[in-house]
Amino acid sequence: MSAHRYERREAGRGASRGIGTPRAGKSRGSSSLPGLLALLTLIVGAAFTLLPVYMGVLNSVKTEGEMLNGILSWPRHFAWGNYADAYRKIDFLRSLGNTAAVTAVGLAGIVLFAAMGGYKLSRTPGKLSSFLFGLFVLSMLIPFHSIMITLVRIAKNLTVQGSTVGLGLIYIGLGVSMAIFLYHGFVKSIPRDLDEAAVIDGCGEFRLFFSVILPLLLPVTATVAILNALWMWNDFLLPLLMLTDSSSYTLLLSTNMLFGQYGNNDWSAILASLVLALLPVVVLYLLLQKYILNGIADGAIKG
Amino acid sequence: MIDRLRLKRHGILLAFVLPALLFYATFLLAPAFGGIWYSLTDWNGLNPRYAFVGLDNYAEALTEDPSFGHAVFFTLKYVLFMVVLQNALAILVAVLIESRAKTKAFFRTIFFMPNMLSMIIGGFMWMFVFTRVLPDLAVRTGLSFLDRSWIGDPSFSFYAILIVSLWGGVGYLMVIYIAALQGVSSSLKEAAAIDGAGVWQTFRYITLPMIYPALTIGIFLTLNSSFKVFDAVFALTGGGPGRETQVIALNIFEEAFGFSNRYGYASAKAMILFLIVLVITIVQLRLMKRREVEA
Repeated sequence: MSAHRYERREAGRGASRGIGTPRAGKSRGSSSLPGLLALLTLIVGAAFTLLPVYMGVLNSVKTEGEMLNGILSWPRHFAWGNYADAYRKIDFLRSLGNTAAVTAVGLAGIVLFAAMGGYKLSRTPGKLSSFLFGLFVLSMLIPFHSIMITLVRIAKNLTVQGSTVGLGLIYIGLGVSMAIFLYHGFVKSIPRDLDEAAVIDGCGEFRLFFSVILPLLLPVTATVAILNALWMWNDFLLPLLMLTDSSSYTLLLSTNMLFGQYGNNDWSAILASLVLALLPVVVLYLLLQKYILNGIADGAIKG
Repeated sequence: MIDRLRLKRHGILLAFVLPALLFYATFLLAPAFGGIWYSLTDWNGLNPRYAFVGLDNYAEALTEDPSFGHAVFFTLKYVLFMVVLQNALAILVAVLIESRAKTKAFFRTIFFMPNMLSMIIGGFMWMFVFTRVLPDLAVRTGLSFLDRSWIGDPSFSFYAILIVSLWGGVGYLMVIYIAALQGVSSSLKEAAAIDGAGVWQTFRYITLPMIYPALTIGIFLTLNSSFKVFDAVFALTGGGPGRETQVIALNIFEEAFGFSNRYGYASAKAMILFLIVLVITIVQLRLMKRREVEA
């Protein structure tokens, strides 16, 4: 929905520029001095933003010797062996699978449970409902570091420590409150008549939710899914505390291990594994960026 | 009859909320309350027995622990720089991007990209830039100010941490400010331009007041995230050399899971972090919401 609005607005601006009132031409075109300055600033900023990634990718295909000869120069011959090396060292497929498993378990639980809870809390008036909602919202300011020590103990006692599925379950507990908040707000925009009509038709509470309401929640589900997937995929500290066995390491943990082992020296293998680790996210970003940018803006403004 | 209806409604409500509540209570509420309790004990994680020590841990953290004091000070300095620079840069980038027509989407894609990456990955890539690329560049170009001990010398690594954090954080706020800027009516800006207002005046008196609600969110998010900074510092300096660049979160982490394993004491530090974040964000929201209404 909002992606569409976005595009139309941009198209509208482009068109008005095409007509070209003198004022618009002056402030928007790159022929004027402020316009040129703006463009230049943006180019410098963009170069700065891309610098570490470009340097990482460029040097990931050089041998250590060639790196010493020139860090900035184009590689004379591509040392693809670095990638084979990195692939093996971080156990790429397994780490990728572990990361995906954690994210999938967490995401499924957060979306399903938060949609159910947020919907019903939003629809039910009364003290119990607002107390429960308040209870969820209350915690959103608690820093993770304030709960992590006791969380490790609880995870140990419940024997969810050490496994990717267990880690996913913990993420459900940490992620639902924000998601419930987003669903709670969105449900208000769905007319109540819909619920009532379905109930009159003899639809049960759960069937009403799953076959009528849940599909209507799709826009906010997209926002919730994007925000939470990014968070879990890129989270480092919780996996560090929970996954003790290297066979269940996520991509970040495997990459981090490389530093422990090689004391910053073997940059060609490290850079290649960094590129491997960021590849899935960058590909997804370029494919889905419209939804991601809208999801981020929605999530931040309503959260 | 009415009672039974209410009971049924409560039952359905609980049936829908219970799964979420169960996970939430187990993995968030219980550790939060547990943390408060343990912060009042001398629990060390290894010994199953522990004793209630009252506020001793808090007193020790605040008066007898120079490394924690240093971490608090270091974090406050970092937060101050981040709140100002991250929001200023994000607004600047947002305004500049909004002023472009054809290249708008292209620049937005690039500036937001670091946000997709874990700050662990970003931090490692920047470490390569700081330890290998910049010294090399300094030799080749003669720009000797680039050749610093960016990671090893705490007075420079503060800025290294700042640069990496800004690199990773500006794009997120930029998206929020772009959304806010698109809500500013262009007729208002055109009217100001006709009245002879310059670029800066239009920004200061039209655009800035109009995006004030977004500024409240932006500063809130920056405060909230930068008090809890961990990944960037962990990846870049690990808190070192020594404990010179240790932030609060890293200090807590090391106290609990490093060599000392003083879980009770680390919990007290974690509660202090929570209280700092709570008080400062509430004050910030109060102050800025009041100005929002006036503006």
